[in-house]
Amino acid sequence: MRALVISVALALSSAAVHAAEYVNIDGGTFASVLPADAVAANVTVAPFRLRTEPVTNAEFLDFVITHPQWRRDRVARVFAEARYLAQWQDATALAAETAPTQPVVQVSWFAARAYCASEGARLPTWNEWEFAAAADATRADARGDPAWRESILSWYAKPSSAAAANIGGAANVYGVRDLHGLAWEWVEDFNALLVAADSRDQNDPDRLKFCGAGALNLRDLDNYAVLMRVAMLSSLKAADTTSNLGFRCAK
Amino acid sequence: MNTMLRACAVASLLFSTVALGAADADRSSSSSYVRGDFGPPRGEPIHAVLADPPMVAAPTGRNYPAKVIVELEVIEKEMPISEGVTYTFWTFGGTVPGKFIRVRQGDTVEFHLKNNPNNKMPHNIDLHGVTGPGGGAASSFTAPGHESQFTFKALNQGIYVYHCATAPVGMHVANGMYGLILIEPPEGLEPVDHEYYVMQGDFYTTGKYREKGMQPFDMEKAIDEKPTYVLFNGAEGALTGDKALLAKTNETVRLFVGNGGPNLVSSFHVIGEIFDRVQQEGGTRVQENVQTTLIPSGGAAIVEFHTEVPGSYVLVDHSIFRAFNKGALAILKVDGPQDKSIYSGKEVDSVYLGDRSEPNLAAVSKATKAASAGNLTKDDQIKAGQQLFTGTCSVCHQATGQGLPGVFPPLAKSDLIAADPKRPISILLKGLTGKVTVNGKEYNSVMPPMNQLNDDEIANIITYVLNSWDNPGGRISAAEVAKARAEQAAPAKAPEH
Amino acid sequence: MNVVRVLLFALLTGALPTLAAELPGDSIYQLPIKLTDEKGKNFQFAERRGKPQLISMFYTSCPYVCPLIIDTLKKTQRALAPAKVAVLLVSFDPERDTPQRLQQVFVERKLDAASWTLARTDANDVRQLAAVLDVQYRALANGDINHSAALVLLDGDGRIVARTDKIGEVDADFVAAVRSTLHTE
Repeated sequence: MRALVISVALALSSAAVHAAEYVNIDGGTFASVLPADAVAANVTVAPFRLRTEPVTNAEFLDFVITHPQWRRDRVARVFAEARYLAQWQDATALAAETAPTQPVVQVSWFAARAYCASEGARLPTWNEWEFAAAADATRADARGDPAWRESILSWYAKPSSAAAANIGGAANVYGVRDLHGLAWEWVEDFNALLVAADSRDQNDPDRLKFCGAGALNLRDLDNYAVLMRVAMLSSLKAADTTSNLGFRCAK
Repeated sequence: MNTMLRACAVASLLFSTVALGAADADRSSSSSYVRGDFGPPRGEPIHAVLADPPMVAAPTGRNYPAKVIVELEVIEKEMPISEGVTYTFWTFGGTVPGKFIRVRQGDTVEFHLKNNPNNKMPHNIDLHGVTGPGGGAASSFTAPGHESQFTFKALNQGIYVYHCATAPVGMHVANGMYGLILIEPPEGLEPVDHEYYVMQGDFYTTGKYREKGMQPFDMEKAIDEKPTYVLFNGAEGALTGDKALLAKTNETVRLFVGNGGPNLVSSFHVIGEIFDRVQQEGGTRVQENVQTTLIPSGGAAIVEFHTEVPGSYVLVDHSIFRAFNKGALAILKVDGPQDKSIYSGKEVDSVYLGDRSEPNLAAVSKATKAASAGNLTKDDQIKAGQQLFTGTCSVCHQATGQGLPGVFPPLAKSDLIAADPKRPISILLKGLTGKVTVNGKEYNSVMPPMNQLNDDEIANIITYVLNSWDNPGGRISAAEVAKARAEQAAPAKAPEH
Repeated sequence: MNVVRVLLFALLTGALPTLAAELPGDSIYQLPIKLTDEKGKNFQFAERRGKPQLISMFYTSCPYVCPLIIDTLKKTQRALAPAKVAVLLVSFDPERDTPQRLQQVFVERKLDAASWTLARTDANDVRQLAAVLDVQYRALANGDINHSAALVLLDGDGRIVARTDKIGEVDADFVAAVRSTLHTE
């Protein structure tokens, strides 16, 4: 096993990064926590392709070398805050603690979008991400299973001080890995989640605040695992980075 | 702020004005309760010095409103919750409960909430002492590695809970995100010798109570309100042993006691003390001479008492299984000289005859005297045995020896006794469980060993039984009983049929 | 290139030669967004550089808040008089808000051509612009758009100086910020 890991690491760091893998997801209609009509309607997700793994440190390093305007010492502050890629050793080198095969974190939404564009891709929308993430190894929609929720909640409970893991977790039914348990991930419409800063006034019809329908009604309020993800994304601004937030791309 | 939110804030301000107006009419019975807006802050801004539990921040010592800057950082960290058990707590300032904040009524508080960059979760804060949307939660939603700021005026005096209100709120609270903020009355609180900060919380882990290792949070148990731990200050033993609260005799102690929940209400009691003063629910009216006070979830109380005698006073939630089986236990250790006039300690340890304290136990005493003199007769034994039988055996076997059909076997004309008159010795010494047939009827009950009877008493009781109700007769000596007791092993089982 | 255009602009408007300097790192004009105004004219976002302005986002089919946003902007302008501040309103809804539609609203609301611009850009750029202005929005199935409302003050170089989400009445602190920014530039 260890020999395999070492050879993979060598392959990744030495040669040019191999093309990222994308799988087809047929999409369909499903019950999103953010209903299509802001009340209860199901959401339809058109077929799309999703990257099987989040973007790694090695891949992002390659990107900043070929796109130097995204180096941490050159990026415009409006696109990435001061802690962008702070975990790396310097602008073009990883640190000992940042393994090439860990998901890249401390990246802003603008940086993530630029990376995906460089791969001929884009960030997934919240609905696409949610659709793919509802699956486990055998079912397309495992969200009703308390064991599924519990396993996600237990990642939230682990402190960040525990060493970050490498990519390569178990694949779900679509063949996508590491949607859970590794890092939060950016979505294209992170600023469409329209959750009130005080989550307790969910049904408060503050029409002036959100133009008509009030702050979004979140459906499925006992699906805490997904709710927390919505809360996390709503707390962010486009230039923000956090030490647990990475991304993957879609086409 | 937009118009809707502003309208809400103005409305709540008006409401509190109206309520205060009513209180003003009742001036005679209220203390110094006044409207809390004393005008703009004066003097230089003050950086609040917060305190780690169980200590309380120092009194402000001010008599004018000031601008107070409070900085509080959220830190997610793994800490012990019990011996050999760890848990990932989400904390305000690195402790559970979070840091103690102290300001004065009328102060303008500039609140900075920081979310440590290593945290995974966004957080915010709702202070129950804030008049404004969400108690500050609407204005403090903060991603990891960021800081939010909002300002509020502390209009109401009192002791208030603060907690995180990010979805799902129950989980953030269950992970330890609560603390207390004291908004002093304008004249300050009366000085006391000790002020301490105690906060109860319920915790939910997937493993059982005291199951070792790192325990994750259990959402199902939290929803079902079935806690694994109920604790003071976030850990078993947080306030016991060498971490116990300390005081001396003849001192005044004030406890600020909060209840973060998320679910349980506390029946707060200090074993061995009576609360001289209780500000129930942290309100302004004072109740006196209270044994146990209710602290709602998301509420707090201030209790005060005077120490008189030394000892370990145990703080508990008097829903008592929480104290002894879930950890809701803390100690206040009071040192100093004894005062026997208030509490003497154990004075007498004497024999209590219990059901033998009937007036007609003369026969028992006579038999005892005769036995020691060496001239115990069968008749003495029978008379003594009868009195002892009445006190001990007749409860089940009845005064007539008939027993209870289907439940307790008869002793009267018993074929079991007839088969072996010595058998009662082992039955009284070891008890008898399981199936037994007496006089043609089956019984299946439990007779416990008669551990409270000595050899003489057993000998006398059996002698009485043998000579009553058409039983074979004869006598048993204390020496025989002593021998059998020495040979005794496990309780007698009824022989297999 | 862009620099020539900007210098020309500076010449025409008599603005100061700070424009020759590089864009500051925190200027939102760093976003390479192409817009079209209500007259059908295309322009780069960075061309707005040169003087302070108010920027906000809306859409013409918006039943409730967007008319209020326009009202609030007008009130804010009146509160600033005699000082003048330019206003740029960008649509969330490029599909329905064509230049013709924008021109219609321009006329209906009697907007002052000297200071107002209504504009549209493509969906991808709408998302970017909203993100940089910290505005949230979401399209619903029935065509309505849920969105937060904010008025943002940019300085001459495109840095965000102040913002308010008070809609319906004038925010005195915001007006003060606009006044002081206009004064210093």
